[in-house]
Amino acid sequence: MFNNLKVIQIPVGLFISLVAILLVLFPGVLASPPEQDTSPTPQAGQESETGAAGDLSIGDDVCLECHGQPGTTMQLENGDTLDLFVPPEAHQSSVHGELGYACVQCHTDVGEYPHPEFIAQDLRDVTLQLNRTCQRCHQAQFDLTKDSVHAAALEAGNREAAVCSDCHTAHDVRRLIDPETRELLPDAHAWIPQTCARCHSEIYNKYLDSVHGSALLEEGNQDVPTCIDCHGVHNIEDPTTAEFRLNSPQMCAECHTEPKIMDKYGISTQVLDTYVADFHGTSVVLFEQKTPDADINKPVCFDCHGVHDIASADDPQKGLQVRQNLLVRCQACHPDATENFPDSWMSHYIPSLEKNPLVYFVDLFYKIIIPVVVGGMGVLVVMDAGRAGFNRYRARKSEEPSETDTEPPGEEIISGSDTLASDQDAVEAGDG
Amino acid sequence: MSADMNSERLKSPAVVQVERTFPRFTVGQRWEHWLLFLSVTALLLTGLPQKYRAAAWSLQILSTPSRVNLVRQIHHISAIVLLLVVVYHLARNLYLLLRKQLPASIFPNSQDFRNAWQMIKYLLFLSRDKPLYGKYNFEQKFTYWFLFLTIGVMGITGLVNWFPVQVTRILPGAVIPAARLAHSTEAIVIAIFVLIWHVYHVHIERLNLSIFTGRLGEDEMRKHHTLEYERLLEGNNISPPEEEAELDVQ
Repeated sequence: MFNNLKVIQIPVGLFISLVAILLVLFPGVLASPPEQDTSPTPQAGQESETGAAGDLSIGDDVCLECHGQPGTTMQLENGDTLDLFVPPEAHQSSVHGELGYACVQCHTDVGEYPHPEFIAQDLRDVTLQLNRTCQRCHQAQFDLTKDSVHAAALEAGNREAAVCSDCHTAHDVRRLIDPETRELLPDAHAWIPQTCARCHSEIYNKYLDSVHGSALLEEGNQDVPTCIDCHGVHNIEDPTTAEFRLNSPQMCAECHTEPKIMDKYGISTQVLDTYVADFHGTSVVLFEQKTPDADINKPVCFDCHGVHDIASADDPQKGLQVRQNLLVRCQACHPDATENFPDSWMSHYIPSLEKNPLVYFVDLFYKIIIPVVVGGMGVLVVMDAGRAGFNRYRARKSEEPSETDTEPPGEEIISGSDTLASDQDAVEAGDG
Repeated sequence: MSADMNSERLKSPAVVQVERTFPRFTVGQRWEHWLLFLSVTALLLTGLPQKYRAAAWSLQILSTPSRVNLVRQIHHISAIVLLLVVVYHLARNLYLLLRKQLPASIFPNSQDFRNAWQMIKYLLFLSRDKPLYGKYNFEQKFTYWFLFLTIGVMGITGLVNWFPVQVTRILPGAVIPAARLAHSTEAIVIAIFVLIWHVYHVHIERLNLSIFTGRLGEDEMRKHHTLEYERLLEGNNISPPEEEAELDVQ
C-alpha cells in the first residue's frame, strides 16, 4: 500500500509542476468552465481549501485501531446511532484506497485524538456536513452538482436530495472511469442505473423492462444509454422543464443518428431527419433554437416512444409498429383520432414506392410538373417579350429614316408585324 | 389610311378624342377579384413562412408558438374568405349557365388550341399574324382554369390538413402527408404562376386594369378582342364613333 503511494507521488509531483508550467503558459485554461473529466488534484486542493493538508504521518492503521472495530458508534442529538465502523477492506478496495489515499486526507480535521467536537442532529446531517470533504479534490465535479436538480431540491429544503456520497458512497468509492481512455469502465455501465435506483426505484423498474435497460442488464450491452447519458452526470438538470423537452430530440439523436452504433442493430439513422421534416419535429427543433423555454404542445421522441419504458418498435406489447399502440399515443393529443389516423405519420420512413407511395407519387408529380409549368411559362413569356421587343425595334428602325425621308412610317409598321393594326384599319376604313 | 388618321390625331391636339369603353366585368366580378387577390396574398404571406420554417426570415416571423398560432389563424381566416368566394362564384355562375343567362365564353374550345398554335408560330417568327380573339383569349382562359384547378387542389388539401382527424374517419391516413406535401408544393406553383404569367400578361405585356375598372377601352377591345368587338358592333347594330354603348357582354 505505502509502496504504491511512493511510486505514485513522483509522477504527482511532476504532474503538478507540469500543470504549473502549463498554467503560466496558458493562463486562459483557468477561465475555462468546469468539466466532468477534470482529474482530481488532491494536494493542490487540500492546500487551497483548508490551508493545511491532513497530517500524513498518521497512517490508516492508527485510525483503524478504533474505527476498524465493529460496534464503534456515536449517539447523535436526535438519538440516531452513527456507526463509526469502517471495514478496512472497503476503503482498500475503493478507488481511493487503490491510489493509496489515507483516511486523514479526507478527514483532515480528525487527525488529533481526542477528535474535535462533532455535532450532528441526525444521520442525514452527518452526510450533509461531511459532503464538503469531496470538493477539496473534486472541485470541478462539486461545482457541477451545484447546478443540478438535486442541489436545487436540497436548497428548497429536501434533505434527502442526493449529495456526493449518496451516489458514490463514502468509503467504498468505485473507480468508474478508465484512467487511460477516460471512458466509462464496462462494469460501470450497469452500476449507474443501480445507483440511481437507490432513490428512483420506480423509474429503474421501467428502465429494466425497456429496450435499453434490458439490453444493458441482461446482455451487458455497452451501446445502450444509462441514466447519465440522457440526464447528465453531476449537473443533472430538471427533466420536467420546457428546455429539457425541446432539447430531448437532440439527446436521442446523439446515438440514433450515429451509424457506428445503429448499423449493428439495423436501426435507421434518419429518425431525426424524418422527424424534423415533419411539422411536429420542425416546430420542436426550431423553437429549441429560437425560444428554448417555449412550452409547446408538439410531441418529442419520448411522447411516442416512452420516457423510461422505451420499447423496440416491433415489440408486440408496446412497439409502435403495432398500429393500435401508436393510436394510443396519437390520442394523447388527438383524442378523437380513429384507426386510420396513425398512418398520417410516416413512421420515420422516407416516402418510396414501398413506404408511403401516395406521398412518393405526389412528390414525383410535382418534381415533373413544376419544371414543366415554370419552364413553359418562362419560355412563353420570354418569347412574347422577345417578339414584342423585336416589333418595337422594327418600328423604330423604320421611323428613323422617315425623319429624313419623305416616306410615311405607317406602312412599315403595319406590314412588319402588327396585324391588329391592320384590323383596326379595316374597321376604321369600313366605317369611314 | 389609318396611319394618316393617327398622325392627324397626334398632330392636332385641338381634336378631343373621347374613347368609348365597353363593359367587361360586372361589379360582382370585380369584387370577386379583389377578394381573390387579397385572400390569396394573405394565404401566401402566411403560408410560405410555414413552408420554409427553417429559413432565417421565417424564424424571424414564427419565433414563438403564439406567433405560429397567430399566423395560422390569419391563414385559416383567409382560407374561409377564399372558400366563400369560390362557393359564391361556382353557385352563381352555374346557376346562370343553367338558365342560359351566361355565354359560355370562358370554356376552352378547339379555337383556343388553334389560337395557341398560331400564337406559338407567331412567337417563333413563323407567322406575321397574331391570332384574333373573342371575349377571352386562350391565355386568359388558361389563367382562369389554371387558377380554378389550383385553388381546387389548395382548398381540398388545405381542408384535409385542417381536419386530419375527421378526414381519416373516411379516408386512409396516408392522404394526410400526401395532402400536406401537395398543399405546400402547389403553393409554390401558384406563387410562380401569379408572379410570372399573370403579372407579365396584365402589367408588363400591356397594362390591363379592366378587372378593377370593369371596362375596356375601344382601342384595346379592337386590338386584343377583335372578334368580340366586331360581334358587338354587328350583333348590336352599333356604329363605333357615335353614342356610348352600354352592353352587357357577360
